Amino acid sequence: ALVVVSCPLLRLHGLLQRCWGRLERCFLPGVSGGQSPPWGPALAVQAPAFLPQPVNDASESSEAPSLLDSVLWMAAPKKRRTIEVNRCRRRNPNKLIKVKRNIDVCPECGNLKQKHVLCGYCYTKVKAETRLIRMEIHKKEGGPFNAPTVETVILYDGEKPTEKDQGKRIIERARKRPSWFVQN
Amino acid sequence: MRLSVVAAISHGRVHRRLGLGPRSRLDLLRNLVTALVRHERIEAPWARADEMRGYAERLIEYAKLGDTNERAMRMASFWLTEKDLIHKLFKVLAPRFQPHPGSYTRLLQIPNRDGLDRAKMAVIELKGNPFPPLIHPRRDTEKTLLNQLLKGYREDVQQATAL
Repeated sequence: ALVVVSCPLLRLHGLLQRCWGRLERCFLPGVSGGQSPPWGPALAVQAPAFLPQPVNDASESSEAPSLLDSVLWMAAPKKRRTIEVNRCRRRNPNKLIKVKRNIDVCPECGNLKQKHVLCGYCYTKVKAETRLIRMEIHKKEGGPFNAPTVETVILYDGEKPTEKDQGKRIIERARKRPSWFVQN
Repeated sequence: MRLSVVAAISHGRVHRRLGLGPRSRLDLLRNLVTALVRHERIEAPWARADEMRGYAERLIEYAKLGDTNERAMRMASFWLTEKDLIHKLFKVLAPRFQPHPGSYTRLLQIPNRDGLDRAKMAVIELKGNPFPPLIHPRRDTEKTLLNQLLKGYREDVQQATAL
């Protein structure tokens, strides 16, 4: 721009004009002349031919309406449930534990048992005796995989094998025969 | 049609699914059958014992066909993993059950397991085993009403025939 300066600054004005002319020639030669600018692109990046537009339609249709709308749509209790209503629900027969009417007394030991289940006390008794018999069997067999090819018979203190027990393997138990184990 | 919903509901389906899959179920049952033939009385979860009972009884029926039968021997060698039990099966159990037409095992429920799972347990035993019996079948005493009435009827019939 042409600046009109006062007379004592004519030399400064001439200096400024010369500096501006040099700057123009150095940094904007394309403006002054028809040459190609020395500046190339600062950075080249590979990019697709077109940028994908953000698809808003599908996402908007799939997600629930905005937060404010969803709060209005969800189920919520309207009033506090009174204690009377709560008691009716909690004490309804289908929520209470059923009373068992199938409990009996075991005729052998007198403990309680369920009708279709074995008596726990009697079963434990038989299980303990079976375990001792199996220990005797293990001692007699001596090792694993020695199952005998004959029947087995169990005899207690002071019992002799009968003629029925002829071909059988005899397991001795060192105690008196219990009353509930009847010899066949 | 709602075919996929039918696959998810199991109303009326009778077959149990044990273990990790069909092969695992057969291995489980095979171990139980081997244990039963070895020890003659075992304790197991009720579902497994119930499932195993059928297989054990069929194995004994195969054993009754005899030692020389090729199919019986193949069945026994598949189902009994310990090979000394094959001898026991054919020489001890087959003669023991020869007179019986069926039902060689007894399945009884015992109180639930003591552990955290409280599983329904059962004891399964071969009949005729040497161990102490689990149940004593009791006969009613003569003092019950029905028995007294039957006794009176029998005496009346005897008096009528005597006269």
